[in-house]
Amino acid sequence: MPLQKLLKTEWSGLLLVVILAIMLIGYLKPSFLTPFNIQILLAAISVNMVIALAQMLIVGIGQMNLSVGAIGGLVAISFAGLMDVFQLPIPLAVLVGLLIGLAAGLFNGVIIAFTGISAFIITLASLSVFKGINLGITEAQPFYGVAESVKSFGNSSLLGTLPLLIIPMLVCLVGVWVLLNRMRYGRHLLAVGASPTAASLVGISVRNIVIGTHALSGLLAAVAGMMVVARLQIGQPTIGDDWLILSFAAPVIGGAVLAGGHVNVIGTLLGVTTIAIITQALVLFEIDPFIVQIFLGLLILWAVGINRLRDLRLTLFSKPA
Amino acid sequence: MIQENVFQEFGRKSFQNLKKWMVGAALACLTTTPALASDTRVALVPGGPHPYFAAWEKAGQDAKRDFGLSGADYRVPQKWELSQQNQLLESLLTQGYNGFLIFPGDPVGTNSIASELTAEGTPVIALAGCLKQPTPAVFCLGTDTGNSAYLGTKELIKTLGGKGKIAHFTGFLVDPNTQLRIDAVQKAANETGGAVEVIQVIADIDAPEPAEEKINAFLAAQADKVDGIVTTAWVPAVVAANSLRKIGDKRIKMVGIDHDEVVLKAIKDGYVHGTMLQNPYGQGYIGSFAMDKLRSGCKVNQNAPFKTTALTNQFIDSGTAFVGRDKVDTYIGAMEAVTKDLMASFESTYLVCN
Amino acid sequence: MSSAQGSSTKSMGSDQSSIRKFFFSNEFGLLFLIVVFATIFALLTTGFTSRFNLYALGRNISIDVVIGFSMMVVIVTGGLNLSVGSIGVSAVMFGGWLLEGMGSNLPVAFIFLLLGGALLGAINGVMVVRTGVHSFIITLATMSVYFGLMIWLTQAEAFRNLPPEVATFGRTKIYGYLSPLLLISLGVAILLAILYRYTSLGRNMLAAGANPTAAELSGVNVKRTFILCHALSGLLAALAATMLTCRTGAAIPSMTGHIGQDWLLPAFLAPVLGGTLLSGGKVSVLGTFFGAVLVSLLTNGLLLLQVSEFWVQAVLGALLLSAVLLEKLRNVVLLQNRFI
Repeated sequence: MPLQKLLKTEWSGLLLVVILAIMLIGYLKPSFLTPFNIQILLAAISVNMVIALAQMLIVGIGQMNLSVGAIGGLVAISFAGLMDVFQLPIPLAVLVGLLIGLAAGLFNGVIIAFTGISAFIITLASLSVFKGINLGITEAQPFYGVAESVKSFGNSSLLGTLPLLIIPMLVCLVGVWVLLNRMRYGRHLLAVGASPTAASLVGISVRNIVIGTHALSGLLAAVAGMMVVARLQIGQPTIGDDWLILSFAAPVIGGAVLAGGHVNVIGTLLGVTTIAIITQALVLFEIDPFIVQIFLGLLILWAVGINRLRDLRLTLFSKPA
Repeated sequence: MIQENVFQEFGRKSFQNLKKWMVGAALACLTTTPALASDTRVALVPGGPHPYFAAWEKAGQDAKRDFGLSGADYRVPQKWELSQQNQLLESLLTQGYNGFLIFPGDPVGTNSIASELTAEGTPVIALAGCLKQPTPAVFCLGTDTGNSAYLGTKELIKTLGGKGKIAHFTGFLVDPNTQLRIDAVQKAANETGGAVEVIQVIADIDAPEPAEEKINAFLAAQADKVDGIVTTAWVPAVVAANSLRKIGDKRIKMVGIDHDEVVLKAIKDGYVHGTMLQNPYGQGYIGSFAMDKLRSGCKVNQNAPFKTTALTNQFIDSGTAFVGRDKVDTYIGAMEAVTKDLMASFESTYLVCN
Repeated sequence: MSSAQGSSTKSMGSDQSSIRKFFFSNEFGLLFLIVVFATIFALLTTGFTSRFNLYALGRNISIDVVIGFSMMVVIVTGGLNLSVGSIGVSAVMFGGWLLEGMGSNLPVAFIFLLLGGALLGAINGVMVVRTGVHSFIITLATMSVYFGLMIWLTQAEAFRNLPPEVATFGRTKIYGYLSPLLLISLGVAILLAILYRYTSLGRNMLAAGANPTAAELSGVNVKRTFILCHALSGLLAALAATMLTCRTGAAIPSMTGHIGQDWLLPAFLAPVLGGTLLSGGKVSVLGTFFGAVLVSLLTNGLLLLQVSEFWVQAVLGALLLSAVLLEKLRNVVLLQNRFI
């Protein structure tokens, strides 16, 4: 019975793919399953998962947030800069970082909700603003003075395999899962994504949901930005520049519907895992670096194909008669 | 370091900018009218923001003071993008700069804007990277990147005892220097007659996140098989130094590049064998000096002992040096000495003045 | 002017009302902003009105305009094309290979590279209509695939021995301050305006974008029309990249940035500022043209004002955000006062 239930969940196929990929790569390259390698893999997954969650929520309300990377980058350099220049204690620096992310998300959300202008346009413009502030502050130079305990947080692991970075990721993952699956706010969020008109007819404040979700997205982007600082050990101004493709690819691979109303936390996690495994496998098998880019693109197309198949399967299941 | 004062300076800079706006018009008027001496206003323009070029700012300021120039400003395109650089150069010409020290965004693509600048009567010197001939640039002053990668690999091979397996981490594939570096590392390995083997080249990682991911993945898989690492770009050097420190492995020998403090500290602590230093300060300082001379009637000595590279036969080496643990505290002095040497004979060697 | 709406094939109406309409139009708003900013820059900087600056500004505008068009023609369908930068650079690299590798002459290479761009665009279009997946995801994937293939095939080597005419053309000055590239972009604008206003193909594109179901019912082959829109986008991207190549004299793999993403901002800003609806069905050629002019003008002016290069992007972003908001505000006010 539990097995049957598992098979019916939408991410079962993806889970199978991930398990098979791990077994196959582990068989061909035994070093893939060494504790150190697992730790590296999990660290990559942790950071990327938080990035993907930041985008997934916005996809949930049927919008896009192109500024996820710019917010993450701005928070990253602020976080590192506060420690470097003002020697701010870490909890305070983290708090300010979170507040900046929250404020940036609110900024997006308020403008989108009150003007009704497409989120795509607003976040495209705010991307430029946030990235511009980042460049203006740093003049493209990194901040080095990251506190030692932050550095060691990004580098340490439990039992040699579980990086500490997995903790903030799990907190975010569980938080978002509970929000979407157990809380009224989450149900409203998805309802707005499925149909804003219908949602407002049943008394949901679309405006509040849009603002709140963008604020949450900014908050998650902030967490991801600070996690990257811990992992890289420096506050690089370029942090966040290449989050865009990943942030969309993972939720879509995980079964999110771009039109809104349907997202899946576990599916997104598996999407992130798939991307991380493939990235690492390309290095392990010494594949021509020129080809990596093609793989990433094909991966998204493949995922889209899988989703199409899943949709077909779902329709088959739902019509038993 | 520059970045330490960023926040304090931010306020001041904004104010200065405001002032600049107000007096900008008057200033531009003054500087475009030719004066008798030292009306030279040099712009030092890198290809984009990169820590390597940060030393140009101080070099320009020092040159302005030492040679009485009317300006020697470090102006950075906000992104590493050829059209951004072109746009900035066009704007700087309009703003009245009359000498350009340019790191070419592309060895051929930048020739086009360079010839437009020279057509307006402002000389161009290629700095830190060369323009492909035929070019309007009077000469190229920079690091011989292929040679630097070759020497670095030789140092690595020496400390490995002449045999072993090495990996090479390098920069963007679209950067023409990257192929030169890959070839140079391979050449140094080939010279050992098979005793040293390059087992993997990881490229396209001159940005911190991909570098982190790929270098760690490599070390996770191959740490026990690889004996040495050579990095020939700034970010991979920083990330690899951090990774070696993280896994605490002093068996793997690494030769880095440039003078990021992460790399220097790793050398001190024994995680990195050494680094191939370049001389960005000297490039900016001597380049500004030469520009002023060229504008005040000097010509390039066509019989000077220029070196020849793949791009140009008018190349002047700004110097490169290997810095190991023994010299890591005094490396600035070492590079200043190189600059002084080059400076002392520069005018008599490379210029003909009345 | 050359703005056109899909649903209505409205008659021109009386001259007076169309003039009045123009004054309340988005295009006029942009023109007004352009004049205001140009005046400000001319007064505050000395270099702005210099021959060289006007020439350089015109040349930058010309390329941004065509980049904006390459996005606009897909936005018509209610979709978008993130791969414009990748298609552009792939096309000119193909052209460079034809010139250097195959020894073909300039006109032949030019025609084939345009066709190559159109083909890549058409592939996007086919995938979009066949799978029914939003073009955002399809082109997000193909921007990676096209760029990766191009980098792999060229091994990131630029084509730097193009015929000298290419670079000479990019440097040509007509009457000292007019670039021939600007004439090309004007020509493209006129052709596009004719397409949308006077041809059945263009009207079908607008109708299909405005309401695919209705268009299908009235006999428009929506799928084929969408594929054509994507092909046209690829063709214009290839043209923009060719103009950029004239500017640099070499076909360089990095000329549109990593996976072509440097083009995204100019590509979206021009049509969006110009009043093209992201939901499709409405297009403004003149507005897109003015949008690109405004963005290039602001960049040029901010640099001349010696705003630190690093703050230019932040200021530009803020200005654009306010432009979008002001536009919205203007519409609301006009609607409330029943001007439109």
